[in-house]
This record gives sequence, C-alpha cells and structure tokens, in this order.
Amino acid sequence: MKKLILAAAAAVLISGAAYADVIKIGVVGPISGPFAIQGKNFKAGIDAYIATHGDKIGEDTIEILYRDVPQADPAQAKALAQELVVKEGVQYLAGFYFTPDAMAVTPLLQQANVPLVVMNAATSAIVTKSPYVVRTSFTTWQTSAPMAKIARERGIEKAITVVSDYGPGVDAENAFKSTFEKEGGSVVESIRMPLSTNDFSPVMQRVRNSGAQAVFAFLPSGPTTLGFVKAYNENGLKDAGIQFLAPGDLTQESDLPAIGDSAVGILTTFHYSLAHDSPENRAFVEAAQKAIGNPAELSFPSVGAYDGMHVIYKMIEATGGEQDAQKAVDAVKGLSWESPRGPVSIDPETRHITQNIYLREVAKRDDGTYYNKEIKTFEKQPDPGLAAAK
Amino acid sequence: MSVTEVSNDITDAFPLRRGWQRDLIGVGIIIIAAIAGYFLFPNNLALLTRIIAILLLVLSLDLVTGYCGVATLGHAALFGAGAYAAGIAAVTFGMTEPLSMVAIGALAGAVAGLVSGVVILRGHGLAQLVLSIAVIHLFHEAANKASAYTGGSDGLSGIAPDPILGLFAFDLWGRTAYVFGILLLVIIFAVLRILVRSPFGMLCRGIRQDPVRVSAMGASVKASLIKMYVISGAVAGVGGAFNAVSTQVVGLDSLSFTNSAEALVMLVLGGTGSLYGAFVGTIVFVWFEDIVSAANPFHWLTIVGALLIAVVLFAPKGLYGTAVTLVERYGRGRK
Amino acid sequence: MQVFFSIAVDALAYGMVLFVISIGLSVTMGLMRVVNLAHGAFAMIGGYIASYAARDLGLAYGFAVILAVVGTIIIAIPLERFLYRRIYGAPELTQVLMTIGITFCVIGIANYVFGPTLKTIPLPAELQGPVNLGFRSIAAHKIFAIGCGIAVALGLWYLIERTSFGVKLRASVDNTAMAAALGVRTKIVYAASFALAVGLAAFGGVIGAELLPVEPYYALRYMVTFLVVVSVGGAGSIPGALIACLLLGAIDTTGRYLVPEYGEFFFYLAVIAIVWIFPRGLLGRAK
Repeated sequence: MKKLILAAAAAVLISGAAYADVIKIGVVGPISGPFAIQGKNFKAGIDAYIATHGDKIGEDTIEILYRDVPQADPAQAKALAQELVVKEGVQYLAGFYFTPDAMAVTPLLQQANVPLVVMNAATSAIVTKSPYVVRTSFTTWQTSAPMAKIARERGIEKAITVVSDYGPGVDAENAFKSTFEKEGGSVVESIRMPLSTNDFSPVMQRVRNSGAQAVFAFLPSGPTTLGFVKAYNENGLKDAGIQFLAPGDLTQESDLPAIGDSAVGILTTFHYSLAHDSPENRAFVEAAQKAIGNPAELSFPSVGAYDGMHVIYKMIEATGGEQDAQKAVDAVKGLSWESPRGPVSIDPETRHITQNIYLREVAKRDDGTYYNKEIKTFEKQPDPGLAAAK
Repeated sequence: MSVTEVSNDITDAFPLRRGWQRDLIGVGIIIIAAIAGYFLFPNNLALLTRIIAILLLVLSLDLVTGYCGVATLGHAALFGAGAYAAGIAAVTFGMTEPLSMVAIGALAGAVAGLVSGVVILRGHGLAQLVLSIAVIHLFHEAANKASAYTGGSDGLSGIAPDPILGLFAFDLWGRTAYVFGILLLVIIFAVLRILVRSPFGMLCRGIRQDPVRVSAMGASVKASLIKMYVISGAVAGVGGAFNAVSTQVVGLDSLSFTNSAEALVMLVLGGTGSLYGAFVGTIVFVWFEDIVSAANPFHWLTIVGALLIAVVLFAPKGLYGTAVTLVERYGRGRK
Repeated sequence: MQVFFSIAVDALAYGMVLFVISIGLSVTMGLMRVVNLAHGAFAMIGGYIASYAARDLGLAYGFAVILAVVGTIIIAIPLERFLYRRIYGAPELTQVLMTIGITFCVIGIANYVFGPTLKTIPLPAELQGPVNLGFRSIAAHKIFAIGCGIAVALGLWYLIERTSFGVKLRASVDNTAMAAALGVRTKIVYAASFALAVGLAAFGGVIGAELLPVEPYYALRYMVTFLVVVSVGGAGSIPGALIACLLLGAIDTTGRYLVPEYGEFFFYLAVIAIVWIFPRGLLGRAK
C-alpha cells in the first residue's frame, strides 16, 4: 500500500513534467487579512500579464493556484508550499509578500526541483538561501540607499533616522546610515519604534529636538503611515523646514488618497511609480486596473508580480515545459527586458533584479488625485544589501 | 467572573469506572484517524502535521483553562518558547538531534510556563486576561529584540534536524514528520488523561469550582495552579519544538497574541475541560479554515465569524460538550 | 522642563483619545458584565459612516459625527436583540467566542463594502493644522479630542450617578431579578445601556480616527489596547477608566519619547506592575 502511494505521488511529480499540457504555478501571498490588498495586487499583476500575453506558451497552458498566508507565518507558508509541490504538482512557486515566508520555503526547492520567483519579500539575504531563488521586486537596501545620496546632494549635513523596529526597518536604517556617512553626512540619532506605535507625536518631538535637517523614515505600508505623516505636519516639522525622506513604501499609491494632502512634497525613492511615463507602463496600468477591479487599490506589488510572470514565462520557454529548476533559473540569469517600471535585468550573480531607482515627490493632479511624480533617475541599481552583509 | 460552567458536567456525567474504557477508545480513535489520514490524504500531510502542532498547544491550554479555570490570551508564549528554544539549539548550538530538540522545547516551555504562570495567576477575571496579554507581548518583543539568536522578524530559518534515531529522515512529503507527530501526540494524550484523573487533576478541577473550599481543605491553591502551568508549558513546548522540527523554521507569529487567541477560540469551539474538546475544536477550525480559505479566500473571515456565532447560539458548551450532552439526554430518555 | 511639558501635552492628548474610544467598553464590561471584544468593530462602523458622510456625501463634520453615532446604534440594535441578549450572564469564554465571531463578520463585511484601503474623515478647517502653545505646537484636533473626553467623562458620570436611569442601570446589574420585581424593565435598561456603549464607541471611533485610522482590521488591531485600558482602570468605573487612560497615556508617551526602542517593554511591564498592585483595576468594584 505504502509503495503504491509513493509511486502515485512520484507519478504526479514526474507527469507534471513529461506530457501534461498544463503547467501549474503556485502563488503564496496574503489574500485575506490585514495585508489582503497586497495579495490582490499580486493577482492583478499576474492577471494583467496573462491578459496581455495569453495563457499559452507553445503547447502548454498556464494554471495559477493561489494559497493564502494572511500574516507572516513561515510554518504555514512552508506547509502550503509543500502541499502545492506534492499534491498539486506545481512546477513554479511564486509570490511571497513577507520575508520569513519566503525564507521558510527555500530549503524545499532543491528537493522539489522547483524555482521560486519572489514577487515582493524585500530582505537581501533571501536569494542567498537557495540557488533556485529569483527576485523581481526590490530590496529595502536597494530603494533606501539612493535617498542618502539625494540628501547629500541637497546639502543636508545632519539627518535623523526613524524606523519601525523590525527586519525591513533595520535594513532601511542601515542602508541610509552607511550610504549617508560614506557621502560625508552624519546621522545624529537613530530611533527605532515598535511596530504597534499609534501616536507619533513624541517621536516627532525628538526629531525636532535632535537638530537634524532631515528625517529619514521607514514604516511598513498601511495604516500607521497615515498617522506618521500627519504627526510630521502637526508637530510643525514641515514648517520648521525639516525635510521628510523615505523609501516609497510610505507613499504607496493605494494609501495616497488617504495621506494625500499631508504627504505633498515628501521625497521618496522607489523602484516603481504607477505614474511612470512609458508606453509599457500605460498598457500595464490599464490592464492591471481592470484586473483589480477598484483602480484605487493598485500598488507596487503588482509590478513585481507582473515581472515575475515574465520571468516564469521565459523559464517555461527555455525548458519547453520540462521540470528542470536549474535549467529554468540558468535561462533567466542575465535576462533583460523593458518592464513597466523601466529597463530591468536579472543579475546573473545574485539572481536579484537590477533596476532604475527613481526619486519621486508626492504631487497633486488637476483632478484632485495624488501621485508619485518621478523627478530623478538612478540608473541600473544593483542590490547593495548583499555586498554590505559580506 | 470566572470561566466555570462551560462544561462542568461533561466529565461528571460519566462514571469514573467507564473513564478508563473511554480513554482507551479515545486513544484508539486517534490512532485509527491518524492512519486513515495518512492513507486518505497522502498529499496533505504537511497540513495534518501542522494540525498536530496546534493541537498540542490547544491541549496544553485546556489544562489551565478547562481544568483550572484560568482565562488566558497569552498561551502561545509557552508554545513559542519551546519552538525558539529548539530552533536556537539547532541553529546556534548545533544540536540537531530531533528527540533532544523536543526535550529542550519541553524544558523551555516549562520554564516559560512557570514565569507566565506566576504573573498571570496574580490576577482574576479581567485582570488575568490583561496580564496574559501583557505576557505574550513581552515575549514577542523579547524575541524581536534578540534577533541575533531568533532572526527577529525575518524568522529563524536554517533549522536542519537530523534523521530521527539516525534512521528516518525528514522528507518532502512530510511522512516522517507526520508519524513522529502522531507518536508524540498519542503519548502526551495518554499521559494527560492519566494526569487529569489523578488526585492532582481532581484537585485542580476542585480549584476551578471553588478555590476557597479547596484552600480550606488545606491544599495550596496557588502552588497547584503553578504546577499545572508548568506541566502545561512542557506540553506546549513540545508542540512548539515539534513545529520547529517539522517545518524547520520559527517565526515571530508563534509567539503572537493572534496565535494565543486562535488557540483559545479553537478550545472553546470544541469545548473546555475534557481534552477531547480540544481535538474536535482544533480539527474543525483548521479544516474549516483550510476549506473556506481555499474556496473563497476573500470572504472566509465572515464565514468563520458566522460559524463562531452559530456555535455559541446552538452549541453553547462547545461542539464536543454539546454532543456529549445530547448523547446523554438520548441515553437517559431510553432508560 | 520643556521636555516635561512637551511629554505631558502629548500624554494628555493620547490618553484622552484612548478614553473616548474605550469608555463605552467600560460600560459593557463593567456594568453589563459582557466581555465585548466587538467594541472596536462598533468604533470602526462609526468611523466608516462618518467617513462616508463627510468625504463622499460632503456633509459637515458635526453632522457626520451625529450620523455615525445614530447609524451605529441602529446597526447595533438587532445585534443586541438577537445575539448579545443570549450571552448576558454567560461564562466569559462564551462571550469571547461570540464577540470575536461578530468582530470577524464585521471585518469581512467592511472589507467587502468599503474595500481594504484606508478611509479618512476630513476635518473642518478649524480642526486642521497645528496650534502653537508657545513652547511647542500641537494638532488642533487633539485639543478637540481632549475637550470631547472631558465632556464625555462628565456627562457619563452624571448619567450613571445622578439620574434615575443610572439608578435603574446599577440596580439591574447588581440584581436583575430584584430590580425586575421592583418594576424596572431590565431588558429595556440593558438595551439602552448597550446602545449608549455602542454610541460612545462610534463617537470615539470618529474622534480618534486621526490617530487610529479607519480600515477593516481596525476592529482587531486595537482590541487589545481597549481591553487593557479598561481593565487597568477597573471595568465599570468611569473615574478609574479616566485615570487609567491618562496614566497609560503618560507611560506610553514617556516610553516612546525617552526609550522608543523599548517602548513596548516599558508599556507592558507597567501594565503588569499596575495590575499586580491593583488586581481588580485601579478603581474596580469588588464583586
């Protein structure tokens, strides 16, 4: 009996490669829960790609299977990935909004012979955990470090950093601090605040008393950014001329209608703005807005998912639908293409995406909506986080 | 306000003489269900394994909530302590032997049980709930801060347990982990049934019903409760360590308020104070969540909410407790 | 000295916002003996109604607040009649299960109706922007929230301690059967005080929306905070809740100013210390 089951399970795995016309892709992300909007963005990006490129690659048809991990829960993520591989026979794993979830899955990849395309999780180290990981999003280091250069260019000598006290926040703090100090500036103070902070007034008082000319902040996208940006205005920091700098997580498009007015003039650096001016982006935004239903909910994870699908399509083309993780990953090393965010390529060494980072300013359109206006481009930025960790 | 009456008469309804038989049947059912699960869902073993880990947490919660009447929203602290202890032992100190990892987890869980027991038992009713909330947040924050050991919010990955006894390696299908989990579960369940029927178990149940009378009898209420807390911690710690061994990662979520609250919901859903209720509640909740969230992830929370309301309205003693009452009534009616 | 005043002002404002949102929960938990974990859900419903009225319909702020309170009470009445009435006097855990179920449902429905994005309640011009206090500036709406907190505290104290409704309420709570025998229509008293609690929740949800923004997970995100505040104060005691809010507001604010990295430790250790010394809450009534 046991042998029979083993054989059956093995057959599922093998048949997935040999003669099936359906290639399954398992996507793990927050589909319900407080981060559901980001899961929706994954889906919108994927749907947009399929809508514009078709669901067939040669003879094979693509099928997407979604699995829900509402909040960072590595154990659950791993169980679901295991189930996707063993039970559903997926040839590709993709998605992953949270770093711990992606980290948890990496030990499976080798044995399962499945590549993992990370569509969001932004801690540098993920790609080092397995040779089968490719990332099409960004890292916090990648988006934060250019901000330090901007600050120096604008003549800021003394800055203060304020970040949420968890992995990405610490990454952002380190990225800004090391780059800023290398450029000759000094960080007068580094404040880490608990993720659960609601009232930012005390923090703003400290920023004010520190005598810094600029505050560099990182908070996860979502409700707290609203209170933070408001506290910045209401405690008179804006009037005092203290410049607000942040990576683009703070002004993601789906939060902009709410923080809009208080955010005008804030400078952020990020890999993608919905307002990026290119024919590729206009086509993408149109397709993705249609896919997500409510256009106001579209935000940056959608582009990571869209490009993730591009990478997976290239992998399938290269392997001809065979299940061969090594061949698939090798095929996309050095791959470059024109993404909605601009020209991008996969670094053959790190398997992380090399891309432009843009300096943006929150601005108001004539119709009263807000957007991230790109005002400067840092071309072809690799991930400085891995080098820093060495 | 106290947590009494939820299932006062579930176990009382059964004469002691039949208890042993019932427990043997209970263990039998678990083993049969486990074997059935193995062959019916050979590709879902990862999920079933997760259920086992959660089940150990809910069982340990039943010891303090169901048998001692302590309301806590911080029980995941014990589970998480076990998970992190086992994980850190493997990653930092290279102790990758699964059985000793579980033992370390049990020990850490017991210590965490002692600490949180001492704090939580200071209050009563609402104050107790709040103390438990404070405890879980402190544990969570401590793990977040000690990121050199715990990996912080990135999670503790890279746990690579050795094959069990050097023979059974952990595989992609999760077969080894599943069998290992079932063995742990059966052993712990049997031990706990003996425990709750022992004089000590009876004493704890007495405390839940009337602490004043128990202390008038000359027994120390506080010491008994703390003892139970330590035992409960060891059980939860085994659950946490098993989770670390089987999934090879530990995340901050294992020490979270959400995890504690979910465990409490599962326990009350099944029915407190019988250990069987913990089984029913956990399996129903996780299974329900899995089905509904796969079928309609965008609305599953509404449906789960409706389920909880329905249980309170139609099965106020929890699923197991109400089922027992119905069976009893039916049996009495026939006499 | 300036630092001290600065912290004090922030602490007062934060404490008062907490007070306005959580005092309704103190009524349900302390007077009606229901562990109402759905309190945040009602605050959130109020926030959504106000946001819809002020932002989408363009109504005046004051009117939006009234609409939010009335609307939330109307939504809550059938819930009281069909769900809460079943759990009055039930064991604590049953109440927890029921009210968590209600919270889940409300979150799911809010997510479906309003979507997962943040909703704001536009403030009138007078409440926007900073006000200069001389040594520092503070948001105008925080001063407004402090005023609302004081008004709510006085009003509630008067209602419960000085009016005949308050007498009936306390009588019904202490001994329902005896109160009923003396001619108090306890069901109506319970329904009325439930409506009062829900109305306060909605009011607090709207007033506090600047600090705790309205989104579907509001109901769960801040549940713990409300629960902690009420229990530390001693459920059912209005002065207790007020002191607890100010005290915890002060501890939280001081912690976040002086040692932001350990703010969370600071806060919860303080909670443990307070409950350790006052196991029934600061001014809790002995049972």
